[in-house]
Parts: sequence; structure tokens; C-alpha cells
Amino acid sequence: MLASAHPWLKRDWPLLVCLSIPAILAVGLLLYMAGWVLVMSFTDLSLFGRKATEWSFIGLENYERLFTRRGFLESLWVTVIFTFFSSIIGQNILGFVLAGTLRNQPGLLRSSIESAVILGWVLPDVVAAFLWSATFTPNGLVDLAILQPLSIETRNLINDHPLLIVILANIWKGTAWSYILYSAALDSVPREVSEAAKVDGATPMQRMFFITLPMIKSHIATNCLFITIGSFVYFPLIFALTGGGPGTKTQVLSIFVYNESFSVGKLGYGSAISVAMLIIVAIMSIFYVRLLREPK
Amino acid sequence: MQDTQKSYTTAIILALIALIWVSPFSWLAVNAVNPEADGSLSWPNSVGFQNFAEAMSGQAGGQFMNSLFLSILTSTLTVIIAVFAAYPLSRLKIPGRNAFLWALVLLRMLPATGVIVPIFFTAKSTGMLNLVGVAIAITMLNLPFTLLLLKNFFDTVPVELEEAAYSEGASFFQIMRNVMLPMSRAGIAVVWFFSFTTAWNEFLLPLIFVRKTADFPMSVGLFASFGEHSSVNYGFLASYSILYAVPAVAVYFLLRRNLNTGFAGVGVKG
Repeated sequence: MLASAHPWLKRDWPLLVCLSIPAILAVGLLLYMAGWVLVMSFTDLSLFGRKATEWSFIGLENYERLFTRRGFLESLWVTVIFTFFSSIIGQNILGFVLAGTLRNQPGLLRSSIESAVILGWVLPDVVAAFLWSATFTPNGLVDLAILQPLSIETRNLINDHPLLIVILANIWKGTAWSYILYSAALDSVPREVSEAAKVDGATPMQRMFFITLPMIKSHIATNCLFITIGSFVYFPLIFALTGGGPGTKTQVLSIFVYNESFSVGKLGYGSAISVAMLIIVAIMSIFYVRLLREPK
Repeated sequence: MQDTQKSYTTAIILALIALIWVSPFSWLAVNAVNPEADGSLSWPNSVGFQNFAEAMSGQAGGQFMNSLFLSILTSTLTVIIAVFAAYPLSRLKIPGRNAFLWALVLLRMLPATGVIVPIFFTAKSTGMLNLVGVAIAITMLNLPFTLLLLKNFFDTVPVELEEAAYSEGASFFQIMRNVMLPMSRAGIAVVWFFSFTTAWNEFLLPLIFVRKTADFPMSVGLFASFGEHSSVNYGFLASYSILYAVPAVAVYFLLRRNLNTGFAGVGVKG
């Protein structure tokens, strides 16, 4: 390996090795922790009380609990709904539509809309949660601008439709990512192809479905996987906005893990939920890896 | 004729979308500048900046400094560790390198909530339940992505430049400082921005790691103060939110030119 290396790399290789030790340690530690979660998921370790020190291995009990007790399956369902509607339906489609329409708009309009969408993206999660909670309170923006003019009774919207509001908040927060990615993807489609089809009499819809979309297929897949995984494990905005409530209506898996591990204190059970979550993410990531590997 | 009409309609719809998009900020704006803010959405009777003064002094000001400390420490750590490890990763044909790179692609997806319990225990047993511990944890969680990104940037720097520097007698650090780093400025900017903003926004780790209000970064500070519903000082909260959001937004808009280089498509070549 060193024989083919460049002379300065050969000269300095001890230095190179030393300098990469922190990174190797960090990546190793990350892997070690993933293994640790797996081991912990077979124990009854808890955060407080007797089981914090005198824990023991209990086999697959935690995993049985995932499917027999209330909680996990409900939480998984909430997560799937949240992820599907906020990322695939919301961020993905809105991001694509925005990227497609803004391409032909004059610079000022384009850059101001871009800035508005990106502002939501770069805003810290807790501030976004604060804003959305204020927007939906009685006498908040939605109440004043929509409900009162239509003389609909004012209610606490966050209590009535928590999942919907959390989904909207995530769309608002994350669409910029899809927008940026699709803008770049559309720039890579040569204009000539689309124009040739126009000359041949293809309608805008036909051009979209038969030319543009197939050409950016890999970008669409990449984007969908990314935002799906991102929403699937999303924690701060939902936690700060609803805390998983009311009840368990917005308790997505990441909040469930947090609650079971740090509020209830059942670290073993929390780890089993983590493992289930990691497996789902790993399956999605493997899809992603295969996608990147495909020859373009 | 029909075309111009159509483009007007599109423009109006787009402007409406932008308006809806920024409309939640209205609440923030009117409450932040209203010294008698009561949390409702109404025009302030008087406009003043007392709220901002309050949000910059005392404990709140300290939390701003905590966030700054956390973010600068994280981004510095990340850039230094990633630069030195990404360089051999890019230049040396180590056996098993590709397997390692693919492992990084997978590890990049590892969610913090998935490994939060071991992270907590490790920090507890090493006495790191503080902001330094948070910085180290974020650096570790971000490293797979930052390594891949920098490696891809280093791949684009022609090796002949280093060769020339070497034949003129440059040391390793001189090659890094005078050739590699200037040539991959954009990549380093992305890594720096990415780690700075993740640390600035990070909520879960400080929530678990930090117990004392004086040690909170702004994310947890803001969360803690809007949880107390009994006597909420809305003017303070609104101006605090703005002060917390400004650096994150500013950093993005300052660096946006550098950031267009693919965030998502970090793959492995060859």
C-alpha cells in the first residue's frame, strides 16, 4: 500500500496515522454504542431504583413487550403517518413544485420566496416550535385570520388537531431541503430536450411526466429517502411543540424512546425501541446505498 | 397574451405562498418590540427595545454565550478532526477503504435518539455531563458525514499541486496549510457551517446533559422558559427567540454561496 503512495505520504505516514486517531476513535465509539444499545435491549436496566445497579439479562422480554403492550405499535403508526404526510406528500411535492415554478420567475420574486422558505429551514427547532404554538393558540394568527372572519368557534387547535399541526410545522420547516435539491436537479436537465419536445407538440404536463421526471429519477429517490429518514427520527420540533401529547397523539418513536428511557426510566425497554428504530432506518439506508451505487 | 396572464397568476400565487410562509413570524415581531407584550397578536401601543435588553443581560445573556461556546467548540473540533482524517482517506489506497466509506454512508443515517442512552452513560461515567460533553457527542455523531464530505472535496484537488510543494521541500503541515486547505475552502465552509448550526440548534443532548439553568444553551433555555406557563414573559420570550435565531440565519446567508455544493449526494466514488 505504501509502495504506490506518494513520496510525501511515505515520509509523513506516522504523522498521518497519529492525526487520524481521533476520527477512528470517534467512528469506533459510534459503532460501539450501537452495539451497546443492542446488548442493553436484552436487560431490565433502569435509570432509577434497584434495577439501576442490579440489572439482569431478561432475554427477549423487551421485544415481546414491543408487540404485546400498548405504546410501541401506536407510536410506530403515528411516526409513519407523520413521516409519510410531512415528507413524501408535503416537503417532497411542495419542494418540487416550488423548484419547478420558481425557475422561470424573475430574480426578485424568486429570491424572496427562496429566502422565505429557507428561513424556516435554518430557524432553530425550538424557536419554530414556539412560533407554531403561538400561531395556533386562541387569538393567534390562524384564529384571527381564518376562524374569526368565518365565525368559527375559537378552540385550542393544538389540542384538537395535534398531529396535523405537527405535520404542517414539519413541512414548513423542511421543504427548503427538497427545494434546494430539486432546483439543482432541474438545472442538470438540458433545456434542449424539453424544448425539442415542445416543438414536437408535447403539452407542459407531458413534458413533465415523460421527460423531466424520468431524467431526475435518481434525485427524486435520493431526496425521498433522505427526508423520510430525517422525519422518521425527528425529535426537537415535535417534542418542544407538543411533548408527544395530548396523550400519545403525537408521540413519534424518537419521543417514545426519550420518554421511556429518561422519564419512565426503563432503559432496557427504551433500548429495544431504539433498536427497532435503528433497524428500520438501516433498511432505508441500505436502499439509499444501493441507489448511490447504481451507475448513473 | 394568455401567457402573460398566466404568469401573473403564478406570480401572485407564489407571492401568497411566501406571505403564508413568513406569517408565523408576525407574532414574534409584534411581541418582541412591545414592552407590554401579553402574548396576543396585536399592534403594540408603544414600541421599545427593553425586551431585547432583558434578553441580552443576566442569565439569558449567559445562555447566549453558552450556545456560542458550544457551537464554536463543536465546529472547531469537527473541522480539525475531519480534515486530518479525510486527507489520508482521500490520498491513500488503504485496503478496505471502500468498505469503510460505505460504513460511513450508513453511519451517517444513525439517529441520535437511537444511541442516546449509551451516550448519556458514557458522559456520566467520564464526568462529561456538561457542554464540552455535548460538543464531543455532536462531533462524534456528525463525523461520518463530515468525513465523507471533506474526502470528496479533497478528491477534487489535483495531486500535482502537492507534488510540486513536496519537491520544493514543504513539510506535511505546509502542504496542508498552503495547498489543501485553500483549495478546499468551500468544503471546509460547508463542514464548518453544518457543525456550527447543528450545535447551535441541538436540543436533545443538552436537555439530557445539562441540569443547571445557568449552563443551558439557548435551545434548552428557551424551552425551559416557555414551559413555565404561570407567569410567562412573552416580550422576553419573543426577543430571546429572535436573538437565538439570528446567528443561525446569518451564518446561512453569509455562507450560502459555498453551500450549493451537494449536501445530499455524498456518495463514494471509485
